[in-house]
Amino acid sequence: MIIYGIAIGLTIVSAIIDIEKTKNGFKKGAKSFLKLMPVLIPLFLFVGILLAVVTPEFISSLLGEESGFIGIVLGLSVGSITFMPPFVAFPLGKELLESGGAYPQVAGFLVTLMSVGIVYFAAETKFFSKKSAIIRNSVSFIGAIIVVGVVAVIYG
Amino acid sequence: MMKFIRKNKFLVISLLLLAIMTFVDVTLTYTALENTGSQLLDMLLIVPPIFLLIGLFDVWVDRETVIRLMGQSSGIKGMALAFFLGAFSAGPTIAAFPLAMVMLKKGARYSNVLFFLMVWSSLKLPIVFFQVTQLGFSFAMLINVIMLAVFIVAALISEKLYTKSELEAFEKKAEELS
Repeated sequence: MIIYGIAIGLTIVSAIIDIEKTKNGFKKGAKSFLKLMPVLIPLFLFVGILLAVVTPEFISSLLGEESGFIGIVLGLSVGSITFMPPFVAFPLGKELLESGGAYPQVAGFLVTLMSVGIVYFAAETKFFSKKSAIIRNSVSFIGAIIVVGVVAVIYG
Repeated sequence: MMKFIRKNKFLVISLLLLAIMTFVDVTLTYTALENTGSQLLDMLLIVPPIFLLIGLFDVWVDRETVIRLMGQSSGIKGMALAFFLGAFSAGPTIAAFPLAMVMLKKGARYSNVLFFLMVWSSLKLPIVFFQVTQLGFSFAMLINVIMLAVFIVAALISEKLYTKSELEAFEKKAEELS
């Protein structure tokens, strides 16, 4: 909600200094919002479907205590394919750890969840290019493997 | 028809999946639509001020300033600024893209914009705090510090993989989209 305060405050300041420019900025903001919507709606539909199918129970069953190397691979893959809002993802991570999930698996899952994924892929293809989306997602995936490696060494 | 499908691959795939789900288990379809609706609602609540700020940024900050602060020769300063903009942000990653477009349009360096997007997606401060409360300080920080290092390297490496004209194409596309 702080962001509403900041936005409204700055708009008022901006309007006092130059009302025409502010109107123009308002229009530009609205325009980029409208341009984003066609990307968003199908994406939300897709994420909605994913969240309905890939439930926390399902993920817990994949990343159990004894899941070992396969668990790491699964964690990285499931994290890459799916998307979850952070306020769902981190409590799930906590739950996984508490119910005996291993640290490297959970780390791999969380990191890929945040940085690799269809959500970014679709938006990135639209805004940059397919090449950009492929490169960034693969580099982030390699990064996630590094995270898993370090976590495995420290917590393993 | 084919053109429509190709242009809206995501929508068509999603609708197909929904149709299949309805046959398998109709409650899944309801859950999926509910999820979609609540995300859309969240989005509509958080996003308007972000776009207001993007619009203001567009009219008030001129190209020279952006080039100086985040352009080709902005060096470590540009990266630091990209980090702060990404870390002190709010809102879903998807809202970061339009802002990234405005930056690119105004001459920010591709690696900086990419770094900004990556920081926004996983190292936003509100999320980091939440992460610490859930996962504990040491585990959360370990993940975040390595990610930060990876992002810096990733941004610089990905930029190297493009030709000059490809980078210019990004800027042109950004011009059209914002």
